[in-house]
Amino acid sequence: MSQAPNKNDRVNLSQAEVLLACGDLQGLNIMCEMFAGFGVHTPRRCQTLAECKTVAQDRAINLIVIDSALADAEGYEFISWLRRAELDPNSFAPVILVTGHTKPSQVFRGRDAGASFVVAKPAAPMVMMQRIVWLMNDQRKFVSSPGYCGPDRRVKALGPPVGMKGRRHDDLSADVGIAKTPNLEQDEIDALFNPKAVAL
Amino acid sequence: MTSNARIFAVENKLAQITREPGGRTIENAVRAAETRVESTRGASIVSLVEKAEQMTLLAAEGRASGDVAAFDAIYDLSNAIFGIAGSFGLKALAEAAFSLCDLTDWFRGGEPANWPAIDVHVDGIRLLATLGDKAGAAGADSILDGLRRVRARVLPAAT
Repeated sequence: MSQAPNKNDRVNLSQAEVLLACGDLQGLNIMCEMFAGFGVHTPRRCQTLAECKTVAQDRAINLIVIDSALADAEGYEFISWLRRAELDPNSFAPVILVTGHTKPSQVFRGRDAGASFVVAKPAAPMVMMQRIVWLMNDQRKFVSSPGYCGPDRRVKALGPPVGMKGRRHDDLSADVGIAKTPNLEQDEIDALFNPKAVAL
Repeated sequence: MTSNARIFAVENKLAQITREPGGRTIENAVRAAETRVESTRGASIVSLVEKAEQMTLLAAEGRASGDVAAFDAIYDLSNAIFGIAGSFGLKALAEAAFSLCDLTDWFRGGEPANWPAIDVHVDGIRLLATLGDKAGAAGADSILDGLRRVRARVLPAAT
């Protein structure tokens, strides 16, 4: 994730519907200028939770960048609402949460609200672009459960730490045990590569 | 993971749209964004000064009324100052604003208010915002040293 994108790769944001939200007007202006530089033509500008909800209900959004401080609420509230609002496709849209005065608890709060990414200020254009590129390549599935709704928070799929037993029900041991059944005969192996129609 | 959890794939529309022909190279997009952000420097400095003035009034009102709700408003302004100052490399102002966020967050959590600590931060922020780019390193350092000492005395556990 921290790997810098290739500077010669192309990104076309000219047709992207982008929602930019920040409670502070000047902060919003700065954000809009940054995305105009990225090639976004007409971002949807919001300062309040109500404005964010209206835009999300009104049109399909491809990317949401929201400050943790809205004028009348916190960005987390919008993300939590959006994820459970059942607005297809907006409920599954990538969301970058930008935080100012950041404590670890706020990073976790953003993640638990369903943000795709949490970016701490000052969010320089290069940092923001790296996150966008990462989201373009994001293959994570979506999780909907009573306690959490949002992108799968397990970013890495490297298995449990070395020497530790995995906690997931489908984690397999790295040690291969002794075979519990007889080896396949050669004709059984051959049959696996020669499927035949069967009558059911 | 409860048995009620659903895990499913979703279409990455952002990937489809951003890979359409055209657009900009990442290098050009970032450079254009930096230029456009920089073009707002003047208006942003004005905004910083206005916020600092507003914060001064809020602090005076809060001290007079003893209303802890004042900390929420001061926190929000200070947080906004931190974000804007950081965007333009005004590190001293950003650090002072961050420190005030720490203090107000602490006090609004129910700790006894220490208004002199708030006042010295507000004054320091106002001075740094007014000086803007002209705040010399030496002058900014001496302001920050003072604020760090105040913060360490008021928030000993957090330093």
